[in-house]
Amino acid sequence: MDALIHISLIHFVIVSILLASAGVGTILTKRNAIGILIGVELILNASALNLVAFARFHPWAPQGGPALDGVMFTVFIIVLAAAEAAIALGIFLNLYNTLGTVDVEKAQEMKG
Amino acid sequence: MDPSHLILTLLLTATLAPLVSCLVVLFIGKRVMGTASGWFATVVMAVAFGCALWALLAWMGWPAAQRHTIVLAVPWIPLPGSETPWLYLGGMVDSLTVAMMAMVTGVSMLVHLYSIGYMEGDARFERFFAYLSLFTFSMLGIVMSHSLIMLFVFWELVGLTSYLLIGFWFEKRAPQLACRKAFVMNRIGDMGFLIGFGILFWKLGGNVFLPAVAGNGRVSMFEALRQAIEAQGYSINHPPLWLTAAGIGLFFGAVGKSAQFPLHTWLPDAMEGPTPVSSIVHSATMVAAGVYLTARIYPILTPGAHLFVATIGLITLTIAAAMALVMTDIKRVLAYSTLSQLGYMVLGLGAGAWTFALFHLITHAFFKCCLFQCSGSVINASHHEQDMRQYGGLGKKMPITAGAYLVSTLAISGASLPFMGIGLTGGFYSKDGIIAGCYNYGSALAVAGHTLGPIFYWTPLIIAFVTVFYMARSFALTFMGQPRNKHLYEHVHEAPWTMTVPQVALALSAVLAMPMVLPFLHLINGSMPTVSWVQPGQADHMKVAYEHVEKGLLFGVAWIIVLLGGIAMYRPGMKYGHRVATLPGVNVLYTWTHNKFYFDALYDIFIVGCGKALAFIVGTFDKYIVDGLVNLAGLIGKGTGFFIGSFDKLVVDGAVNAAADLTQAGGRTLRLTQPGRVRVYVLLTFATGVVVTLIVVAAAMLR
Repeated sequence: MDALIHISLIHFVIVSILLASAGVGTILTKRNAIGILIGVELILNASALNLVAFARFHPWAPQGGPALDGVMFTVFIIVLAAAEAAIALGIFLNLYNTLGTVDVEKAQEMKG
Repeated sequence: MDPSHLILTLLLTATLAPLVSCLVVLFIGKRVMGTASGWFATVVMAVAFGCALWALLAWMGWPAAQRHTIVLAVPWIPLPGSETPWLYLGGMVDSLTVAMMAMVTGVSMLVHLYSIGYMEGDARFERFFAYLSLFTFSMLGIVMSHSLIMLFVFWELVGLTSYLLIGFWFEKRAPQLACRKAFVMNRIGDMGFLIGFGILFWKLGGNVFLPAVAGNGRVSMFEALRQAIEAQGYSINHPPLWLTAAGIGLFFGAVGKSAQFPLHTWLPDAMEGPTPVSSIVHSATMVAAGVYLTARIYPILTPGAHLFVATIGLITLTIAAAMALVMTDIKRVLAYSTLSQLGYMVLGLGAGAWTFALFHLITHAFFKCCLFQCSGSVINASHHEQDMRQYGGLGKKMPITAGAYLVSTLAISGASLPFMGIGLTGGFYSKDGIIAGCYNYGSALAVAGHTLGPIFYWTPLIIAFVTVFYMARSFALTFMGQPRNKHLYEHVHEAPWTMTVPQVALALSAVLAMPMVLPFLHLINGSMPTVSWVQPGQADHMKVAYEHVEKGLLFGVAWIIVLLGGIAMYRPGMKYGHRVATLPGVNVLYTWTHNKFYFDALYDIFIVGCGKALAFIVGTFDKYIVDGLVNLAGLIGKGTGFFIGSFDKLVVDGAVNAAADLTQAGGRTLRLTQPGRVRVYVLLTFATGVVVTLIVVAAAMLR
């Protein structure tokens, strides 16, 4: 229980590292564009988690609450991620229309 | 009034007219005039003949006491540093020139007319007339020229045009060879001419170029040359050796042109040309040029040179008559008879019968031209069959041609009325005069102690009967007896009028020459050069000639016997001839004669063989030594090239290639980092990130 209560910064960082690694692994292994997009979302979320954690454990943070700059960044990242997903999905739709697949390995032509 | 300007103008017009006609026909003949160019050339020649005839009449109408040699000398090429300031262009007219001009233009005009009929349908009809006119022009140039150097210019032009005309049908092999042979043989003679000229130039300097303007301008050109020789202290009578050599050298030019022994072999071969060419070559132009030259150089011929000239003439007339006896080709018989008659002329010149030799040249031109034209008509009518053994009885079908041939045969035989010493034709007087001159010459030689002297008299006399015999033979074989080739006989027809008219005109001129003999002899005698060495009594040839005829009445009977004998023997064909030819003793002679005394074979073996051997030696030298040097130089060049090339290839190209290879290898390596696969880029990005992070962390920790 003690361990559960004392959840410190290092735990957040470890989760974040695991998340980011999972994202990188996904990007590296997936050929499907949607899979890659999911990997990218994972990395973004890992970094968002990091920011939130750092905001909470920052020495200059007010007692019992996070430092707001870190939280603000996280909100921006979420918005950014949403925008990025929308754009990426638009690109993928075009890719599918052009090539009939979303396999990134096939998208090798510079012009289409 | 002095008609010299008129005569000079007329003769220059007559000389230049054929040249103009040649150029016109050559340039616009084919396109504009077509076959009319034959008529054009003939008319121009007729104009030239008219001019020459007018000049002849004007000359004869000029009182003999006032007559003088007309000389035209236009400065042409300056000769700085010489005794004569100029090389002169121009002409010279004396009695001989006037007579020769009339003869050449007249014969040439008739040959032109004859050619219109003979050459009809030939692919190069127009060109033939251009050549024929040029040929005539060159001969007229020789007759008109006033110095050795001008004479040589036209001399060479005659050589060229004879080459063109003999080889006129150059598609065939035989004319090609014949025209080449004629040209080369003439070249040998011309070499002699140049040597003679060179000797004179060496000894006399620029005087050789002097036209006949020496003294008061009233002497002929070689008279002037003789005066120059004597002015230098030399005597024609007791000459230095070089003068004899120069005379023989100049005469050698005549040997080539007039086809004398030993350069006679080209003339029978020249039969390969069209028959009009034969008729003009054998009468008025080419062969006449040699005799004319000999007549002109006569004043500078020394006694030794005279002996040489006479000997050459004697040999030629004998062997040619022998060969004419055995030939069966009608044109070859006539060719050898020409050789023989030329031998007479040359012998006459050598023996001092100057006037008669030139008179024979003129009478011979007419009847020989006629004989050739008749033979041309026969050949044309019998589909170019020239073998007399295939003829026989043609007289019935071609009466005009046969008649003209008979008249000319009588003329060449020197026909005369028996017991009266009156010639029927000009040919009698000219030949008899030559024989009379030979009699004098032979006697003079015998008196001087030469035991062989009488040969110079007996040989031409005997050969005169041989002439009668072989001409009777050719007439009988061709026109009399029964046809021996029925197929040929059926197709024979009389020639068209353009061919018969010249024949008749020439035959008539051979007869009509008779009443003109005396004025003509006087005319030619007018330009006889005065030669101091001539034996007394020899100068007055005409008197001697008539005395000779009166003494030799036998001649008048004998020639008729020979003529009739020849006709009787050959009227039935060749059978009696064969019988005689196969008699023991005769058959050896026959074989020799029939093979033309093996002259061609001899020349082929010795001269051509030596030439070939020399060519082989020179060729071998060329091949191994000259070519060897060249090849060595080539080899050195090749080696140097190989060395430089290798350097270029290995070092220069190597550097360039190495740079290229390096770039390529770099590119190939770097390309691995850009495989075009997203994952790889991502991996690299992250790997870079990780490495950078690790470095930063490590750096932070180490600090």
